[in-house]
Amino acid sequence: MLDDILYAVRGMLKNPRFAALTTFVMTIGLSLCIYMFSFIFNTLSGTIPLEDGERLRKVTTVVNGVAYDGTSVRYQEYLDIVNQQTSFEFLDAYDTYTVTVSTSDRAIRYSSHFVSEEFFKVSEAKPALGRLLTKADSTSNERVVVLGDLVWREMFASDPTIVGQKVRIDGKNHTVVGVTEPGYRFPDFAQMYMPFKVESQGIAREDSNFVAVYGVLKEGVSEQQANREMETIFAEFARQYPELNSTKIGFVWTFQMEKIGKGGDALVLAMALAVLFILVLACVNVGNLLLSRAIERNKESAIRTALGAPRSVLIRQLMCESLIISVLSGCLAVLIAGYGLDLTFDYFLNSLPIEPPFWWQAGLTQTSLMITVVTVLSTVLITGGLPAWRATKTDINAVLRDGTRGAQSKTAGLLSKVIVGLEVTLSCALIMLSAAMLNLVSKMNDADYGVAVDNRVAARIALPSERYGKENIERAKQYYQSLEEKLTANPAIETVTFSQSLPHTWGIFQNISVEGVDYGKNPSYPGSNVSIVMNNYFSAMEMTLLEGRFFNNSDAAGTSLNAVVTKNFAEKHLAGENPIGKRIKLMEMDNAVVTIVGVTNNVIFGQPFEHNSDKASMFLAYQQFPRLNMNAVIKSASTAPATHNPVSLLNKAAVELDADVAPYSITDVQAGIDSRLSGMNFIANIFILFAISSMVIAFSGIYGVMANSIVQKTQEIGVRRALGADNSNVYNHYLMQATKQLVAGLILGIPAGVLLIKMLEQGSMAEGSMLVYVGVPVLISLVIVLAVVLPVRNALNMEPSSALRHE
Amino acid sequence: MNTLIKLTNLKKVFATDEVETHALSEINLDIKQGEYVSISGPSGCGKSTLLSILGLLDTCSGGSFELNGHQVAGLDHKQRAYIRNKEIGFVFQSFNLISDLTVEENVTLPLTYRKDLTKAERKQMALAALEKVDMSHRAKHYPAQLSGGQQQRVAVARAIVGNPSIILADEPTGNLDSKNAELVMALLDKLHAEGTTICMVTHDPRGAKRAERIVEVFDGRIVGDTQAQVAVA
Repeated sequence: MLDDILYAVRGMLKNPRFAALTTFVMTIGLSLCIYMFSFIFNTLSGTIPLEDGERLRKVTTVVNGVAYDGTSVRYQEYLDIVNQQTSFEFLDAYDTYTVTVSTSDRAIRYSSHFVSEEFFKVSEAKPALGRLLTKADSTSNERVVVLGDLVWREMFASDPTIVGQKVRIDGKNHTVVGVTEPGYRFPDFAQMYMPFKVESQGIAREDSNFVAVYGVLKEGVSEQQANREMETIFAEFARQYPELNSTKIGFVWTFQMEKIGKGGDALVLAMALAVLFILVLACVNVGNLLLSRAIERNKESAIRTALGAPRSVLIRQLMCESLIISVLSGCLAVLIAGYGLDLTFDYFLNSLPIEPPFWWQAGLTQTSLMITVVTVLSTVLITGGLPAWRATKTDINAVLRDGTRGAQSKTAGLLSKVIVGLEVTLSCALIMLSAAMLNLVSKMNDADYGVAVDNRVAARIALPSERYGKENIERAKQYYQSLEEKLTANPAIETVTFSQSLPHTWGIFQNISVEGVDYGKNPSYPGSNVSIVMNNYFSAMEMTLLEGRFFNNSDAAGTSLNAVVTKNFAEKHLAGENPIGKRIKLMEMDNAVVTIVGVTNNVIFGQPFEHNSDKASMFLAYQQFPRLNMNAVIKSASTAPATHNPVSLLNKAAVELDADVAPYSITDVQAGIDSRLSGMNFIANIFILFAISSMVIAFSGIYGVMANSIVQKTQEIGVRRALGADNSNVYNHYLMQATKQLVAGLILGIPAGVLLIKMLEQGSMAEGSMLVYVGVPVLISLVIVLAVVLPVRNALNMEPSSALRHE
Repeated sequence: MNTLIKLTNLKKVFATDEVETHALSEINLDIKQGEYVSISGPSGCGKSTLLSILGLLDTCSGGSFELNGHQVAGLDHKQRAYIRNKEIGFVFQSFNLISDLTVEENVTLPLTYRKDLTKAERKQMALAALEKVDMSHRAKHYPAQLSGGQQQRVAVARAIVGNPSIILADEPTGNLDSKNAELVMALLDKLHAEGTTICMVTHDPRGAKRAERIVEVFDGRIVGDTQAQVAVA
């Protein structure tokens, strides 16, 4: 065996360019394969590293086809689910809020989870200091908190005596009972934990809190079974509470899939298929190169056979080269994939608007390495075994006796046709998919949100309900008015406005009904984004008035409730009728009835996917629908000095008004939009990498195989010319042959590409277009034409007599 | 008899970076219609180069080449291809059948470059040519399924299918055993007897003797041009 390896090394060193090319192609294929497998496994499909991780699931909802993560189930729905379900051995709920932690000199907003004792058991939490929450904490009147490691370090300088101390949260003192271990952030990015105390008694269903629901499936119960049960439960909710649940279904999925949202399965499948295609392309190319090399050595193999070498020995010898290439490529690929994974996780840590989930594992894992070994061994068999088997099948008598020149053998010719067809199919599907993703991302990056976003800073403000809620709501109105006045007093600030939702945040989608429309016995109500805004919102965001009027001081509390709707709202829900004066019932806002007073341009809330872009939107006046939590938008004046910092002005003004209210999630609006798109951009970048790699591998492979087969036919070209073929006859002949291979490849490749695109379109992960469906096949066709024309031209440049003598 | 080929002071020089090789020098040769000429000489003497030039598969470096009274020197690629197709039939030492094509398709191949024939006519002509060489029963076979002798008979059928003015045969028996060689030579004799002009390159004296005229080439020059009966005598 050692002799065989040394012999193979000697052969490779004799032709270092060939060795480098095959190693390069295989390294690209394996690197992407290992990288993508590791990425998918480490982030999306691996088991959550908890005892019950395999069976841990989230229960979320899909409203009007849009999947909602986080807190999306009403608390009373959760209680009903607990009573009716049989799939889970354990089901629990938690709530999430952002709270203000303040000390004498500063206030910082932190994400807080309100959780039960079981929450910590399931997530296998351990306290670094003190204890975790218990059942008693949920029923006790004492306010307690478990700090996350980050808050403990950032706010309290890692004070080892923090347990038992009082800390001020949302203006109230809480006793610290413990600190979690570093790195613990189940299930999302909570930075502190307080007891779950949601009341349901005496609270109307539509007013009940939204909570996040998770649980552990019973042994032997599949996700599909749990989903079927959840569908049944939510169908009953829809029957009983059509105004709340007519467009809502329950959905059971893993924590990982919840993170990437609807269409995640398709995305994972598309990524896996894409990387598999690239690996197959790499194997096909390397296998083909090794086959042509093996065929070149036919005579040597025949001599060895004549001297008594058994076929198994010949196959082993020929496979040694593939073994060396695959193992070398595998080692390089592990290094490249590991480096790529490090870069990726760094990118996510620094670029995404959220912290990565706790189950993410950076770098290569043991599983990744095991998969690497299996993949490398498979590539050895595919790239070495098949060519060796094929090459040693030759009739040795024919090889040793044959002194004549002839065209490429029929079998070899057929093999090269199959290879080219396969490469066309795979590259077409993969490049189409990548192009469709790029198409979508490009559209998303250029999307018109319907509002001006430049030179604007946004921040979230949450007023504590104890001091601003219910009977003190006038104080909330006063707070926002004062904040606006304080900020606009500074000449560097041009405008300040407040709204419930902003383009880079999610809209609040609610069921509505148009007065006078009969929705039937089992109603399915239409929906609309609803955002509460200050009167100056439309001018501050440079929106266009199409009909009627925007809000003004007449839209005050106690007067007729009014609304401004977008153009697509009028088109969708009031087709053909004058929208002004139409009355709309807000099913999820105490059935309030609003009158449309104006129509404005379309806007997009959330990511500019097609299903979001199409959504109708409605704006309500803040004075009529006051809220505690709003988004501030500050536009700086064009004359503002270079040292002007709207963020510090906002913080200063907020602290002056109320030291317990800290603006948070402060971001440039455009940066916020970019940040929300960063995940999609990342996936698109991955697919660009796939597309480039597949183009490099496939095009070099297609060109190599086609050109090689035509070079092998140089003598045939000589024969054809001797028989009277002119240049155009020769070109036509080989182009026609190539067209057959191209068409065969495209017949499979285009539908495969369309299928993959359609799969991802369902999850808004790609968008096909005529340019994609036509441009990619045309690009591949051009490569094929070049792969034919260039070598044929070379052959035609020879005198026919030289072509006839060509070896 | 009309002169089909007239070579005057023809020469062929192969030039590489360092060396200039005179493959043919001062070749003067006339071939009349209906003649059976063999060009013989030792390996490397230039006889195959001469045949390539005669077949318009290569160009000469100097001198003049007239085919049917027309100068060949000024012809472009398309015209040369047309003449090869209409006027010349080739038989090669290594048969040069195209392995992807059946016997019938191989024989039809030269006809596919003609625009004045229908598919049915091409097929009919191909089968007639195969009939002449007694290979019509293997029309649907691939070259790899035939013996060397059979392949060369198919190559002869391909050479005659378009009724060329001349058949150029380059060592047609070089890859055949004596029995098959005899069969192929008999075939050429028969074609000649039917009036076909044949020019055959061979270094086999027995083959050369089948021709009615023997041109001997040595070191790129014609050193002998004799009628076969004289040579035999």
